Amino acid sequence: MRGSFKRFAFLALGLVLVGALTAAVAAARGTKSSASKIRNGGTLTIGLAEEPDALDPTIARTFVGRIVFLAMCEKLYDLDSHLNIVPQLAAALPQVSKDKLTYTIKLRKGIKFNDGTPFNAAAVKTTIDRYLTFKGSVRKSEISPISSVDAPNATTAVLHLSAPYSPLTAQLADRAGMILSPKALASGGSFAQNPVCVGPFSFKDRVAGDHITVVKSPFYYGKAKVHLASIVYRIMTDPSSRTQALRAGDIQVEDRIQSTDVPTLQKDKSVTVSKAITIGYQGLTLNLGNKNGLLKPYSTVDTDLARSQFLRTAFDLALDRTTINKVVFGGLNQPDCFPIAPVSPWYKPSTKGLKCNLHANVDLAKKLVKASGISSPSVNLMLGGTDPVTARLGQVIQSMEAAVGIKVSVTPTQFTTALNRADAGTFDAFAIGWSGRVDPDGNIYGFVSTKGTLNDSGFTNAKLDYILNGARKSLTTKSRNTLYHAAMQIIHAQRPLIYLYHPVNYYGITKKVTGVQIFGDGLIRAQFAGYAS
Amino acid sequence: MGGFLLRKAGAALVVVFLSSVVVFIGVRALPGDPALALGAENRDPAVLAAIRQAYGLDQPLPVQYVKWASRALRGDLGLDARQLPVGHTIITRIPITLELALLAVLIGVVIGILAGVIAAVRRGKLSDHAATTSALVGLSVPHFWLGLMMIIVFAVDLRWLPASGYVSFHEHPLSNLEHLLMPALVLGTGLSAVLMRQTRSAMLSSLTADYVRTARAKGLSERSVIAKHALRNSLITVTTVVGLQLGALISGAVITEQIFVIPGFGRLTLEAVNERDYTLLQGVVLVAATGYVVVNLLVDVVYSLLNPRIRVSGSNTP
Repeated sequence: MRGSFKRFAFLALGLVLVGALTAAVAAARGTKSSASKIRNGGTLTIGLAEEPDALDPTIARTFVGRIVFLAMCEKLYDLDSHLNIVPQLAAALPQVSKDKLTYTIKLRKGIKFNDGTPFNAAAVKTTIDRYLTFKGSVRKSEISPISSVDAPNATTAVLHLSAPYSPLTAQLADRAGMILSPKALASGGSFAQNPVCVGPFSFKDRVAGDHITVVKSPFYYGKAKVHLASIVYRIMTDPSSRTQALRAGDIQVEDRIQSTDVPTLQKDKSVTVSKAITIGYQGLTLNLGNKNGLLKPYSTVDTDLARSQFLRTAFDLALDRTTINKVVFGGLNQPDCFPIAPVSPWYKPSTKGLKCNLHANVDLAKKLVKASGISSPSVNLMLGGTDPVTARLGQVIQSMEAAVGIKVSVTPTQFTTALNRADAGTFDAFAIGWSGRVDPDGNIYGFVSTKGTLNDSGFTNAKLDYILNGARKSLTTKSRNTLYHAAMQIIHAQRPLIYLYHPVNYYGITKKVTGVQIFGDGLIRAQFAGYAS
Repeated sequence: MGGFLLRKAGAALVVVFLSSVVVFIGVRALPGDPALALGAENRDPAVLAAIRQAYGLDQPLPVQYVKWASRALRGDLGLDARQLPVGHTIITRIPITLELALLAVLIGVVIGILAGVIAAVRRGKLSDHAATTSALVGLSVPHFWLGLMMIIVFAVDLRWLPASGYVSFHEHPLSNLEHLLMPALVLGTGLSAVLMRQTRSAMLSSLTADYVRTARAKGLSERSVIAKHALRNSLITVTTVVGLQLGALISGAVITEQIFVIPGFGRLTLEAVNERDYTLLQGVVLVAATGYVVVNLLVDVVYSLLNPRIRVSGSNTP
């Protein structure tokens, strides 16, 4: 009896060793935290899904970088919750001349950068000149129609354009509209290592691969609305770790919850799961004319899909978007057939009267395959990733197409390699997404106009080019809606791209925090959030 | 001795040079255009050309190498895609991984040796079976699974420890230990399993050896026989295993650091590969390769000091 007890005690000792060790440390500090009762102050920690690149809007490219910029780099224009463009550092929407070549922007008064220097038209000129001339500037292509900038007085900036360009205001509502402190630029140091703009928070520090910290700015014009003392953006690329960190209270906001973790967090009473239908899309780019490479002269490629519009329509009709969403994404995304998302004010007018097949029409698809005259049609589908979800998407498409007699072979490809192949034109169909832009031009022009820099399809259509160029010149919403509707009719019929769904992003927010906003652009707006009392 | 050291140092320099060439070419052999990776969604040819120009990717490979190598010799590993100095990033990451690895070794050694001794002393009994089975489980369980389980139990449910992150020792020693405890336990589990098996095996040999029988015959207590005679001899094998496992631990830290979001050297390597950040990846691999070469050089030197025959046999004199 005594021996058994000894053995039991020994085993128990071994089993609890790990637990005891951790408990001892925890007991030394008392890690259970109680909710803060103050509304002002505190640090909000946001777990980001990726690491932002350079914190210089001139060369910044990443989506998560935009989340960090929201707290410390305000723009001439911003978006409201309905994705309408509203003034931010500008006092009003721009006044556009009759020839559409001059934009006059009135600026708000009494604003200071986070280094205490005044924000004025000279700063706007300095910044936009930098965007246009800086070696390696990513903004240059976004605002390339701007030929020069004038600053006639402190509160007026005048942009001169070489050609009419209606998406300009939308560009100024993104990174191209972020105004940088001339003093910081003139200091000679790397702006990315110490960015200074106008914003509710100012940059404090960055530990590469770990975190970025911003602290409440004493110079911000609306500092009464800012509750938090600081925001820490932690880089947490592993989605499971991010979710567990939220549940453990290490972070208060989780960027983009992976679909398998959504149900778990929805059951967690300490967490609110917010969702946002994004303005991006996931689709299939079909190679119709990209024989020689991107932006090289296009001519019809020798593939079954490129040869027959009937076959492309059949390919589309075989896809059951609702089932794809259910099987691959647990029903969490928004199936659709257009590049503009339903959350956009441009959606309804541009897609009016166009039919979207959310369910497959197998019978009609079979008839169209027959009508195409191509016996045993086959398609190679290149997947822009090697992860299990993307693989599942490929398999589901494969089985759906098999039902109508189209043989699909699937090639999972590392993302950058896939982009290389897409640009080179060595693919039949390519499953790839787009993060989306507020202005419809950003979701259409680059992909389907002959001069589009993202036209991997190699699609060329003179009528569509004319319409899309016209939409760039047109300034009224009504005329642009009419033009985009005409463009959508051509795209919908010719199918250089087959759109599948708009991603729905899910975010976890602890219930202790209020005021975190997420709009259709998918960015986490936490600059005016705070801890609830 | 001087000649021996010069020869070894010269050989090490050649290895570092060859490593730098292999690193440089190897990074560029990765599939996919780095400009496309760095450009994210922006594939405007003008933007891609600007990226290639900014990173020197538009120049011939030999020119790129000479520029990079000459800067590296001056201690400048360049700026990464975040526009942060690569050298500084690496220097701040290495101590974190080393701290994690050393803590894991400590945990592995304590648990492994203790369990190994008990299993050997109580051979064939329940505690032996329990320890052997635990070691098998410890070797079989993947780090990522064990890590997630520990996070769920100790961070989410019990709230005893933070689920992720890192606080430096000089910033807050206790918080530093809190943040590293679970990752070190995960990393140390595999090591403890290996050490348990090695210790048990070595102890079993020692316990049947003549000198142990003699010690018992002299009337020493069983505790004294085990601790002072059998275990001390067994530790020679165990120490060798610990040394061999240290390298594996540092490599294994990649997964652990990713799960527990620890900004260590392993995670930095993973990020550099994922983001196709050439400058960062080159710097990381070069530093790692140089580290191995320097450690090997030091080992050679220590061996030669301990055993003069090595430096004699390594010389050119007959």
